[in-house]
Amino acid sequence: MKKFLLYILGIFLLTVLIAVLLDGLYTYVFMQSRNRGKIETVFNSTAKKYDVVILGSSRANNHFVSPMFEEKGLKTFNYGMSGGHLFEATLMLKLMIERKYQIKNVILETDLNLAVDHQAEGVASFFLPYIHNSETIKKHFKNERDFNTLYYIPFYRYIKYGTRIGFREAFFTAIHKKTNTLDNLGYYPLEKNKNGNMKNNIVNLNPLPHNKYYEEIKSICKKNNIKLISIMTPMCENVAGMDYFDKVKKAYPEIYNYENIVVENKYFASCGHMTNDGAHLFTARIIKDFFGK
Amino acid sequence: MFFNSLAFAIFLPIVFFLYWFVFNKNKNTQNALLIVASYYFYSCWDWRFLFLLVFSTFLDYFTGIQIEKSNSEKGRKFWFWLSISVNLGFLGIFKYYNFFASSFAEMFTSFGFKVSPFLLNVILPVGISFYTFHGLSYVIDIYYKRIKAEYNFIDYSLFVSYFPLLVAGPIERATHLLPELKVKREFNLEKAKEGVCQIVWGLLKKVVIADTCAVYANAIFDHYQSMNSFSLIMGVIYFAFQIYGDFSGYSDIALGVSKLFGLDLLRNFNYPYFSRDIAEFWRRWHISLSSWFRDYLYIPLGGSKGGLWMKIRNTFIIFIVSGFWHGANWTYIVWGFINAVYFLPLLLSNSNRNNMDSIILKWNLDSVKVLFSILTTFLLTCIAWVFFRARTITDAILYLKRIFTNGEFSSQYLDNERYNYELLLMIGLFVLVEWNNKTKVEPISGKKSWLKMALAIIAIIAFGTYSDYKEFIYFQF
Repeated sequence: MKKFLLYILGIFLLTVLIAVLLDGLYTYVFMQSRNRGKIETVFNSTAKKYDVVILGSSRANNHFVSPMFEEKGLKTFNYGMSGGHLFEATLMLKLMIERKYQIKNVILETDLNLAVDHQAEGVASFFLPYIHNSETIKKHFKNERDFNTLYYIPFYRYIKYGTRIGFREAFFTAIHKKTNTLDNLGYYPLEKNKNGNMKNNIVNLNPLPHNKYYEEIKSICKKNNIKLISIMTPMCENVAGMDYFDKVKKAYPEIYNYENIVVENKYFASCGHMTNDGAHLFTARIIKDFFGK
Repeated sequence: MFFNSLAFAIFLPIVFFLYWFVFNKNKNTQNALLIVASYYFYSCWDWRFLFLLVFSTFLDYFTGIQIEKSNSEKGRKFWFWLSISVNLGFLGIFKYYNFFASSFAEMFTSFGFKVSPFLLNVILPVGISFYTFHGLSYVIDIYYKRIKAEYNFIDYSLFVSYFPLLVAGPIERATHLLPELKVKREFNLEKAKEGVCQIVWGLLKKVVIADTCAVYANAIFDHYQSMNSFSLIMGVIYFAFQIYGDFSGYSDIALGVSKLFGLDLLRNFNYPYFSRDIAEFWRRWHISLSSWFRDYLYIPLGGSKGGLWMKIRNTFIIFIVSGFWHGANWTYIVWGFINAVYFLPLLLSNSNRNNMDSIILKWNLDSVKVLFSILTTFLLTCIAWVFFRARTITDAILYLKRIFTNGEFSSQYLDNERYNYELLLMIGLFVLVEWNNKTKVEPISGKKSWLKMALAIIAIIAFGTYSDYKEFIYFQF
């Protein structure tokens, strides 16, 4: 029996050793990432200068046409992340500041995402390869429920989020396979989708009175002399519970309501996401109103 | 509590420790501990169905003794049929009642009568098909005087409820397992090490092969209308490896765990995709179920004795019942029917036992023929799997039709944000490993065991699918 227990101990130690080695290998690979996604690119970047940085969810990613800003002479990048919440937007901004980005304006999409103040796991997981290499990321995740397991168990984060940062992603990162995430200065255009869902029900959605991540972004911007432009972006015609945007305005008077700038369904690929045409109309108005161009 | 869960990773060492260090006085204490552990294991799914398991155990224990004690044939028959009817009654109510009720209603509706059948709103108790078959084989064996009734209730209870095989088999025989439970188990280092290797290999099959293939198979089967021919072919290959990895992986873990407790269970899989004909496939796939149906249904029906029509009838009965055992759906029945159609020519030409020897390949024409037979058998199996996996028979037919009519054999981006061909290399490697180890129970033990163990652990950690967590397919049966 003693021999067997030693055998089991050996397997356990072998497993730990393999986990540590794989953890190191994956992390090393992700540290080299330059052209896969926005998070990796920011993390592995050095100081940059921007007139406008766009943050938010897919409703930022698909709505703010960053090349249009560039055409007006504003150096811009759309760092909106599909499926992301303000948790990830905040961390992204923190990383930029840490890397000494000089940013004049941050356009923050603040509408539906004000209703939640937790992480969007699918997006947040892309920060996890760097959790041991960045105090900023570590601190940001510190209060999350599974922080200890993600931080202290080697390789656990790569297992838990295997579909995002597992073997496949590590392999593509290692061979420097490019994605289209960084094309069009981060803006992702959508086409008209005949199967797109043109209904939405947000009756039960309520903005949190003090969304901690929104408040944190405000404070970071203030501290770093960045002008924060918080904007509500358009929804399609058939939405139940449109008074949500009034509730946002009431809770956060500084947020600009641009929900009704584009309304016709023909400009939407799905109810919450405008087509490229809709995004162009919307962006033109934003540039005119906020940058006078 | 799944074998691939953290809960089981905690449960197993605790039971192991108690078994060998605290309850190792004699076989009674060992068995008592395993019963408690088994009931706890089962109650982790739904403690309410524990009563069904206990009742079934008590029923077969009691009727088994009564059959043996009865002096008259009438009495023996009474207790025998009581056990059979109650066991099958429970199975029928929980597993098949809604299927029959709704099928009859549909039939009446097609004749113009509107019928609203009373349907039961119950979930299927986990493992009912498996422990019911344990009990049935025991009672049938006593009735036919193949074994003596078991008078020790603890030993018998453990035979029915032993946790590694409780929810998804292998379907054990009293003639095999009960004698092992009647003696005190002594710790055997080599057997325990083999058990660990088999557990690791089973886990690899489950989380690396089955669960990864499942992600692709689901993406293809769920959207087959928009898939091209190549994706549809890949879909069924992925499903073939999903179900094999899932079920044989479970069986490997069950057998491995049992070896830790000094018990040997019946082997359930013997590299079935290397079969050279369908008869051989059924000697290698879910062996405990195939042999159960052979011994308790096919042979009592007359087997291959009797006239031509008798042979045909018996073959179709056994395969259709086997299909129906898997689930209350017409797709399983058709799956069984197709396998009967595959099997029949072999039986009628007396060639169903042609491939009993082990496979050896050399650089000659015969080996090419063998490889061709293996690929043909796999292809036939895959066609049948389409019916097993599809939601309806119509879906299965349309799926197969589309393979031949679409005509596009290009790569395709699937709904799971992956390309249809991505797992080919992994499956190829897996087949290669199995091929090179087809004379062994699992490939890890033996020479360079530590190196193979390390590779298996790397595969489990790095290539396993965990975020899209899946239970074992056969739990639903």
